[in-house]
Amino acid sequence: MVPIDHVIGLSALLFVIGLVGVMTRRNLIVMLMSIELMLNAVNLAFVGFNRLWPQGPSGVGEASLDGQIFVLTVISVAAAEVAVGLGIVISMFRNRDSVNIDDVSLLRW
Amino acid sequence: MTLPSLDLAAVGPILFVSVGSMLVLLGEVLLSRVGSIMSHRVTPSLVGVVLAVTAMVFLGLATLMALQQAGAPATPFFNADNPMFQVDRFSATFSAALGLASLLCCALAIAYLDAMRINHGEYYALVLFSTAGMMLMVGAVDLLAVFLGLELMSIPIYVLAGFDRTRLRSNESAMKYFLIGAFASALLLYGMALLYGVSGSTSFEDIRAAFDPSNPLTLAGVGLVVVGFGFKISSVPFHQWTPDVYEGAPASVTAFMSVTVKLAAFAALIRFLLLAIDPMDELLGNVFWVMALLTLVVGNVMALIQDNVKRLLAYSSIAHAGYLLIGLVPGSAQGYSAVVFYLFCYAFMNLGAFTVLVALTQRGQECERVDSFAGLARSRPGLAALMTLFMLSLAGIPGTAGFIAKWMVFSAAVEAGQLPLAIVGVLMSVVSVYYYLRIPVLMYMSEPGDEAPPQELATGEFVVLALCAFAILYLGIFPNSPDFPLLDWARESIQQLLAA
Repeated sequence: MVPIDHVIGLSALLFVIGLVGVMTRRNLIVMLMSIELMLNAVNLAFVGFNRLWPQGPSGVGEASLDGQIFVLTVISVAAAEVAVGLGIVISMFRNRDSVNIDDVSLLRW
Repeated sequence: MTLPSLDLAAVGPILFVSVGSMLVLLGEVLLSRVGSIMSHRVTPSLVGVVLAVTAMVFLGLATLMALQQAGAPATPFFNADNPMFQVDRFSATFSAALGLASLLCCALAIAYLDAMRINHGEYYALVLFSTAGMMLMVGAVDLLAVFLGLELMSIPIYVLAGFDRTRLRSNESAMKYFLIGAFASALLLYGMALLYGVSGSTSFEDIRAAFDPSNPLTLAGVGLVVVGFGFKISSVPFHQWTPDVYEGAPASVTAFMSVTVKLAAFAALIRFLLLAIDPMDELLGNVFWVMALLTLVVGNVMALIQDNVKRLLAYSSIAHAGYLLIGLVPGSAQGYSAVVFYLFCYAFMNLGAFTVLVALTQRGQECERVDSFAGLARSRPGLAALMTLFMLSLAGIPGTAGFIAKWMVFSAAVEAGQLPLAIVGVLMSVVSVYYYLRIPVLMYMSEPGDEAPPQELATGEFVVLALCAFAILYLGIFPNSPDFPLLDWARESIQQLLAA
């Protein structure tokens, strides 16, 4: 069995990769992908932690699936979010012929 | 296994708003179909009015229902052992405020959307969806419900910010808000995952039971959650998106998001602090202290150099986040109830100020430059007087709601021994008088430019302006009248949360 530390370590690593991606990449699509990576790191953390608490905080009784249910919710909300995000990127591409964040500079100071 | 009984009345306000949003969506399709057949009778502006009125009726019902719940004891919804959502004074008072604010936002948008030629019915549906999310958020007692509410609130606003989809500025505003918003929710979610990791549950109660400030995972979790909320309430250093998004979005959308998002996010943050973290950690108090100080200084100083009114009001809303954060620093009941009272006053004055901007929109051209207020007192005396009132209230001049709100927050801080912070707050509100009064000075003391002739004030805008002005004066003179004891409501709602 994979130890819990490894799962959480991987999740933290993925999260940081996503974080750095959002901050350094200039292409809107890549930035969106980085945000998805962060959300998937969250999912991995939830699944991992759920294995740490198979029966919730009390430690007795029925199986607790709080973490896994959270993951399903995050997946569906992320899908909705990305649908809206891609819509915004497309409307922007139509108006400006570019998906580079540096071209998005009408509003400043 | 038996299913718990389902008390639908408890979530009545949310149900009304959600049903209303679906009806508006359906009505838009049906009415535009009718409009394509009988184009001389059913014009797009008529469709807009019908949909707006539908939305307002459902928001009104939700507000009334929430007001009825305000006196009730705290009742968990659906599953008493492990509730996701709880109806109590706090959630009911905030739901009522959010319902009313959204109603006013629908009313002020009718004529504006027509003038900007973006009169699509989805506007009202999106406002309703977002309001449903906020109402879920203010009553959430589980991280899952907080997250769902937050996303249901934010996703429609990303769309609304880009509602004027042929205008580049609106596109850009939506893009920035979406990226920052999604980024902030990812941070918030990772914080939630860590809190789940240390407590084994997502409910506030269990997180509080397992709360251990010496555990680095707990600290990281709480920290990330606070950062996530910091983005939503636009506190420094998570504020950079605010001016850009507020400037680019259509003015009616800016009015909506500047008021309601701040209300809902602060309410959810207060509930999280009170129910999931106990006792208020000293370290967290210091974090809020630094955030409040930075937010006050940056918001007020940056507002001084703005030439665009929407940008000025954006920095002013950052500054107000700073005053609100002062109330969170002591971690006392007095501080929290001052924040609740402040939020309601802020809603009225900010909504009023943005409504004036909306009302000055001429032929698809927004009134954005500070200079365009020059000589307004001559061409639109009523509007100029109201704008002056809103600016005085935002600056916190005695006799207005803004003064009482600031006074409550500062006195809570002083009583908790946070005198330096209160002094900075007072100094910064003195600074704020300069940029707030710039607009009235321009309106009353300079000559009007060569402008288009004044237009009529639309009914919706008139109602919103009158109501906001009345509320500001009323709350400024009788903050706790027997008919409308807003201060008592704020205190009682916090007391009930603390007793839990």
